[in-house]
Amino acid sequence: MTLRFALLLQASFWALFLSIGSFTAFAQGGKVEFDAAAVARGKTQFKSSCGFCHGDDATGNRAPDLIRSPTTNHDVNGNLLVPIIRNGRTDLGMPAFATLPESAVNDIIVFLHKQAYSALHSANVPSDYPVAKLLTGDAGEGKAYFGGAGGCSGCHSPTGDLAKIASRYKPVDLQQIFVYPSAGRRRTATVTLPDGTTMEGSIKHADEFTVAIVGPDGWYHSWPRDRVHVEIHDSLAAHRALVEKYTDRDIHNLFAYLETLK
Amino acid sequence: MRFALLAITAATALAAAENGLDPSAMVKQPTDAWPTYNGDYSGRRFSPLDQINRSNVNQLTLAWMAPMKSVSIKSTPLEVNGILYFTTPDNVWSMDARTGRVIWHYQRESQGDHIGQRGVAMFGDWLYFETPDCHLISLNAKDGSVHWNIELADPKVGYFATMAPLVVGHHVIAGVSGDVTDIPGFLESIDPETGKVQWRWNTEPKPGEPGADTWPQGGDAISHGGGMTWMTGTYDPDLHLLYWGTGNPNPVLNGDIRKGDNLYTCSIVAIDPETGALKWHYQPSPHDTHDWDAVETPVLFDDVQNGVHRKLLAQASRNGYFFVLDRSTGEHVLTAPFVPTNWSAGLDAKGEPRPMREKEPTPDGVLVSPGSDGATNWMAPSFSPLTGLFYLNGREIWSLFYMTADSKPEGWAGRDRNLWAESFIEGLDYQTGKIRWKHEIGDGESTAGILTTAGNLLFTADNEDNLLALDPATGKTLWHVSVGGRLVASPMTYELDGRQYLLTPVQNIVLAWALPEKAR
Repeated sequence: MTLRFALLLQASFWALFLSIGSFTAFAQGGKVEFDAAAVARGKTQFKSSCGFCHGDDATGNRAPDLIRSPTTNHDVNGNLLVPIIRNGRTDLGMPAFATLPESAVNDIIVFLHKQAYSALHSANVPSDYPVAKLLTGDAGEGKAYFGGAGGCSGCHSPTGDLAKIASRYKPVDLQQIFVYPSAGRRRTATVTLPDGTTMEGSIKHADEFTVAIVGPDGWYHSWPRDRVHVEIHDSLAAHRALVEKYTDRDIHNLFAYLETLK
Repeated sequence: MRFALLAITAATALAAAENGLDPSAMVKQPTDAWPTYNGDYSGRRFSPLDQINRSNVNQLTLAWMAPMKSVSIKSTPLEVNGILYFTTPDNVWSMDARTGRVIWHYQRESQGDHIGQRGVAMFGDWLYFETPDCHLISLNAKDGSVHWNIELADPKVGYFATMAPLVVGHHVIAGVSGDVTDIPGFLESIDPETGKVQWRWNTEPKPGEPGADTWPQGGDAISHGGGMTWMTGTYDPDLHLLYWGTGNPNPVLNGDIRKGDNLYTCSIVAIDPETGALKWHYQPSPHDTHDWDAVETPVLFDDVQNGVHRKLLAQASRNGYFFVLDRSTGEHVLTAPFVPTNWSAGLDAKGEPRPMREKEPTPDGVLVSPGSDGATNWMAPSFSPLTGLFYLNGREIWSLFYMTADSKPEGWAGRDRNLWAESFIEGLDYQTGKIRWKHEIGDGESTAGILTTAGNLLFTADNEDNLLALDPATGKTLWHVSVGGRLVASPMTYELDGRQYLLTPVQNIVLAWALPEKAR
């Protein structure tokens, strides 16, 4: 029996675990690749041989959920699952599947590990998240909000900076980015010096004690905050203010509208 | 208002070795030691030391520094008889508290989630350490040799451990972590000498027990319900009760297959340390679907108003609400938001915020404050009996929550995508819930815990690599130093040879601060 996936899984299981925390957002780590054809075959085989009791997706029905089962989680290369499939658990009412071809049993095991892996890695909204799930709003209402209550048209234009915006971003990324485009944040400061002169520039650092900008001369300048007067301009101030006003309906309508800009 | 910790009434006597730690020493916080994760049983992180105070804090200088070959230090060290014990995942160090020189180093590589390690507990000559593969290991504090090693729970099904255990009498109280799979939470009491389990309290009740009716009946949801015990609790020696927070229910972002309040997840529970019996419970986040663990330190202090003495417990919870309870009975005293939130339809008769169905995660995304990282998190809060204020490190944080499962939801079943966050230190009036002062500490998510002292100081850090000393009464800055890295732990303090030290791990470097020799 060759189950390359299982070796890969063993090697990567803990590496993946390291990257996923329950209390802070972490990027996903390495990815385990499953043989897609084997998963598909295993899914069909599982459905016909096991689904009636364990559920078509192995999440349980009259018989237990196999995805969060300790046996599946401890299984390596089918060492625990194959004997159960072959011999059954007659005391619990599970028949033996002694005549299933070895390849079919292997495919079932690949499928079960894929299902368990997917549940384990479900703390993620992937960039290829389907647009159909997101398109619950009304594009017309979104357009009206864009030009009206949202005040978006004060800074943005569907034929200018937002032209073809929906072609430039994956749908779920677009939804996050239009609400708060953190990568595009620009902060500048107008610093009034003790002699009354002012200097304006992009902020390199600003905290309670120090402000630092790159001035019009291209040089880095910094001052203690208590020696100068500082006015900070945040390019995303309007986005922050809007976050506290949006209804979910507004967001879904705006998304539906922006998704038409292709 | 008056604060008092009454003398222990039911402590197990232990003849401690000369340099070991007698558990009864933890009842009253000694000035020359920091014997538990929070410094004492109350969780106040208030030190009676005042050598470093408002009049001289601007003279603080570096006493020593110790760069460790490790990841960021998220633990609070113990300090007992001139020796520090601190940790990172897989590592324990014993260190001279005068100089930062390492005495011994214990390392045990393990599999499992290495997200953090909060510290050790001590009983006599023994230390207790939890590991990424969910073991509890007892070490000899003299040399770091292994006394015993037990597995608390199966790491292959998703358990891991980060927390600092708590020693109470003849019990090592140990919690567990892990919510990427749908596994049940629990709290265990272990015999400090033998490593044998004394009792186990399960987060989920058994079918038919009180609380089981807050889960769907007849299915397996309750047995996969989550509720990890991943932060150190507190203890009242007078009432002889443990107070512990529990984490989110599972599946994390989908509540449809676990309709109901899902006790005792996202709860504060009072437990008898002798038997593990539940005395009372309170649930800051009923039917949570946003990962808002209610594990933040349940801080204990007493209150006298109009001649009535009341034993209180306060928690600034990850869901954005501040709760004050009567810790004798669990009776609700006060609930107040400490950040803008948009997920609750209001408080019920018990003061518990009821979640709105329309703010549960959906396939098309819902906008929620706070995000799953929380309006606060594991960073230690503090309570100063001098000001009567409760201090927390908080954030305003907004997120879009998605429920992604197509079939039966399992594991997380989705995630939130963060939009923006701003952090602050707040001083809360526990009698009114009002924010007395708010000190902004920068964009993004804060990571620094808080220490207050009898020197009328509050120590913490901002998000811009500055260590801070604030005035606990007003929040005004009294001292700061830029250290080139983040404080991702909580500061602690101790006195040795008549000198008060302030300890601040910055990333992987331990910095010890003190007054200059001549200024003392």
